[in-house]
Amino acid sequence: MLKYLAKRGITYVFMIFLTTSAGYFLAVSSLKPALLEQERIPRPTPEQVANSMRLKGLDPDLSPWERYVQWLTGVVTRWDWGRSPNGAYINAEFGDRVWISTRLFLASIILTLIIGVALGVYSAARQYKFQDRVITSYSYLAYIVPAPIAYFLVQLGAININETVGQRIFFVTGISTPGMEPGWAQVVDMAAHYAVPTVAITLVGWGAYQIAQRQYLLDNVNADFVRTARAKGLSRNQAIARHALRVSFIPVAQSIAFTIPAIFAGGFFAEKIFAWPGVGSWSIDAISLQDVNAATATLAYGSVIFALGAILADFATTLVDPRVRVQ
Amino acid sequence: MSSETTTGSGPTASVNSTEDAVERLHIAGLHAPTDAVLSVRDLNVRFTSENGVVHAVRGVDFDLMPGRTLGIVGESGSGKSVTSLAIMGLLPETAEVTGSVRLRGQELLGLSDKAMCGYRGNDIAMVFQDPLSSLTPVYTVGTQIIEALTIHNPTMSKQAKEARAVELLAMVGIPSPKARLKAFPHEFSGGMRQRVMIAIAIANNPRVLIADEPTTALDVTIQAQVLEVLHTAQEETGAAVVMITHDLGVVAGMADDIMVMYAGKPVETGAVDDIYYNPRMPYTLGLLGAVPRVDVAEKTSLVPIDGLPPNLLHAPTGCSFAPRCPLASDACRDGEPPLAPVPGSALHHAACIKSEALGGDVDVHDIFAAPPVPESRFDAIPRTDRSTVLQLRDIRKHFPLTKGALIKKRIGTVKAVDGLSFDIREGECFSIVGESGSGKTTTLLEIMEFHKDQDGEVVIGGLSNKQAADARTKSAMRRELQMVFQDPTGALDPRFTVYEVLAEPLQNAGMDRPAIRTRIMELMKLVGLQPDHVNRFPNQFSGGQRQRIGIARALAVNPKLVVLDEPVSALDVSVQAGVINLLDKLRAELGLSYLLVAHDLSVVRHISNRVAVMYLGKIVEIGEVDRVFDNPRHPYTRALLSAIPVPDPQVERTRERIILKGDLPSPLDAPKGCNFATRCPVFAALPAAKQEKCLTLEPPLEAVAPSQAARSLQPEAPALDQQFACFFPDGELDDDMLVTHDQAEHHAP
Repeated sequence: MLKYLAKRGITYVFMIFLTTSAGYFLAVSSLKPALLEQERIPRPTPEQVANSMRLKGLDPDLSPWERYVQWLTGVVTRWDWGRSPNGAYINAEFGDRVWISTRLFLASIILTLIIGVALGVYSAARQYKFQDRVITSYSYLAYIVPAPIAYFLVQLGAININETVGQRIFFVTGISTPGMEPGWAQVVDMAAHYAVPTVAITLVGWGAYQIAQRQYLLDNVNADFVRTARAKGLSRNQAIARHALRVSFIPVAQSIAFTIPAIFAGGFFAEKIFAWPGVGSWSIDAISLQDVNAATATLAYGSVIFALGAILADFATTLVDPRVRVQ
Repeated sequence: MSSETTTGSGPTASVNSTEDAVERLHIAGLHAPTDAVLSVRDLNVRFTSENGVVHAVRGVDFDLMPGRTLGIVGESGSGKSVTSLAIMGLLPETAEVTGSVRLRGQELLGLSDKAMCGYRGNDIAMVFQDPLSSLTPVYTVGTQIIEALTIHNPTMSKQAKEARAVELLAMVGIPSPKARLKAFPHEFSGGMRQRVMIAIAIANNPRVLIADEPTTALDVTIQAQVLEVLHTAQEETGAAVVMITHDLGVVAGMADDIMVMYAGKPVETGAVDDIYYNPRMPYTLGLLGAVPRVDVAEKTSLVPIDGLPPNLLHAPTGCSFAPRCPLASDACRDGEPPLAPVPGSALHHAACIKSEALGGDVDVHDIFAAPPVPESRFDAIPRTDRSTVLQLRDIRKHFPLTKGALIKKRIGTVKAVDGLSFDIREGECFSIVGESGSGKTTTLLEIMEFHKDQDGEVVIGGLSNKQAADARTKSAMRRELQMVFQDPTGALDPRFTVYEVLAEPLQNAGMDRPAIRTRIMELMKLVGLQPDHVNRFPNQFSGGQRQRIGIARALAVNPKLVVLDEPVSALDVSVQAGVINLLDKLRAELGLSYLLVAHDLSVVRHISNRVAVMYLGKIVEIGEVDRVFDNPRHPYTRALLSAIPVPDPQVERTRERIILKGDLPSPLDAPKGCNFATRCPVFAALPAAKQEKCLTLEPPLEAVAPSQAARSLQPEAPALDQQFACFFPDGELDDDMLVTHDQAEHHAP
């Protein structure tokens, strides 16, 4: 198993290198930070701009290949991902951004999974009954409503609660109140900031898992092997719980592993709406600010997360499905 | 069988008040023999569907004595599986089950799912049809066997359960059972999985074992093995067995009693000899006449039963078989006949008002108006004087087996077809038989491929794949050779009307519209379909009719050779007979040649002139069909023929059968010498010096020498049309692989 994972790991490292390099070439040949500098008042001379860019390692006069070699040497030898046109260091900013994104999404991903799979099983067991219809209809609704609108609705709800109570219980934007003393008050403040985005993302997210888990379980409820299990003397519910559930979880496990990276790297709307400056909004900003190095770094991050997801999916599948276990 | 008769169900039952029904059941219960392990009385199952209530089982009665075997025989839709599931309590909740099912006097119907769990897998166990999907793929077989033990023996220690599981696996004949406990179902072949299913079923020594088509999905040699395991299982546990099947051969040797079901109702019940030698219900007669026999050389037409089983949405007003019965008169359509005792035998019952006029001496061919055996104009011409329509010369298809994701390493070769040569002459039917994996289908695909880069030469109607394989030659070839597929439903586009299906090949051949129209009408009549049905869609036809459409499509362009890939295996017995008769007739009338691939050797014997037996990509025996079947020389042919059950209880009980050990080996580890050595019953009994020869040298196909007597009579006699590839065809058979069932043991009352 370890050997297999190592092999997959090497393949993915190679692929990450390819996507990142390709991304860098694309960024370096299309993003021109020097043009943005031209709009500053007082307008700097082209020489000044080039000079300032050169100091930050963004020399516009070098060919893309030369800049690529320079950038790659920095990454490989010093783990230095370069600087932004405004002079900020990518490495420093990157850590902050990833941490914010992780905090924003981690809790809701776990909740989404647990609630989605549990509701899927629950509604499959009560197929076409009232509970199933309500839950599954909600899930389709969550599918249809665009995420930003759902987020706004949750925000409005939170604001409503605040107004009804007459006190600010929930913060609808931001990560924390600045200048809080460490201690109990800070914990409460954190919870008040976390609640709204976590609830919003969870409410929108679980529908997909619920629908998938319900579908796969229903496919297996009447499978021959469930009938065999019942013929052995298990009751219907026992047979489903012991035999159908695990088989139906195989495709869900795979999809879970692949949706995690999508949320991490692509949570642009959530980050913007709740004003949590994470990786998602950074990658969009980087493009509008003609920031070659930041754009490449977010791309690299996305690839790494995706590779991790793929390995996780392999791992999850082998865990639940002996048929794909590698000898 | 008890002497109970049900007074018709359906209308009468609904007229009766519930109290009457209760009373009737009570009396029935009193009359049930006290020593029966399972007593079923007036079992009725109804399903509510979108079109109304389907009355799937209508009044089934039977008593099962300890250690006895009851065979339930019927076609698909006759209600036999539903009966078994109703007894097990495994029908969906929406099914309405009434009547009585008593297990050792305890009523099972009406028990909750939870209460039933105490009986299921403990007193009453079941083996299902499809072993590939009946085991949970994510648990080891050990876990699944142990689960069956844990449910009913919660106090059993872990070691004891494991020891019992090993014992069970050994009992059902799984080699190295201890190690195999940790294996997952996908690591077993189909036959092995069915053995595991049997092990699970007998884990708690059940009193009743229900086997629902346990061997239908398996190859004949594996079927013989599994039937043998079932036999052992019954001996070990002393369980009474209910064997459900559509194959009259399978139950002939196993069952003590038979119940024939039709349209949800038992139509004839009795001891096995009564049913096979003295059938009193036209449907039973028809079923027996519809199956070709592998052990009979004389050629007679099969008995086709026209029409379709009735729709169980409506309660029948007369005998449910009357619409298909050639003997039906007005009296038959007036009320459903009850199951009445047949004079002369206490246990024999038949639901037919004319049962007294029937019996063993009635010729079923007369009753059902079986067509005469068609004669072909080629029959009179010696084979060597007819022209060749297809010739294969040393055809090979090897698949490389590779490993690795990016860089593929060749780690072996699968020799799917390995040096095949044969020819088919005008007007003859040539069959290829063998287990799955022997290369039959690959051979067909190689013929259809017709490409010049193939390894070996294919000559179709004088066109060779080596000479010119351009588009024109190919389309000329397609006009010579057409194909009929196994699954008639999958082979027809559901969005095409029959007209469009048949017109397509004709348009391709460049025919104009009026000519196409005439030809289609001609084709419909040819295959026995009504010409005015051409505008219907395939789903408006039954399986047999769809296969007829498939045949019409193949014949549209007037081919010389038709390739038939398992043309009747998806059809029910009575329908199958009609299609086989049609194929026979077409061959004679149109002078067609057939290349038939089939796993059912009885069908092959019935329809073919010549046959080739394939094993692991090679022909091991080839020749005239009666010669090969009556005097098989290769040990594999002998084993294959011996594995086929014959619908004749006497023959089945007494005959000696060769039960091959294990499965078809993977073509990867094909031995250097004779491919069959690993499973050969002759090889196993050979002295080591001779074994060496089998292991190192590959036996060539050699003609059977005419016997001494024949040579003295006619010294210039041509070589017989039979070739085989074995060094020691006359060797002794290994005793371990020979099984004879003791007749006395089976005939105990």
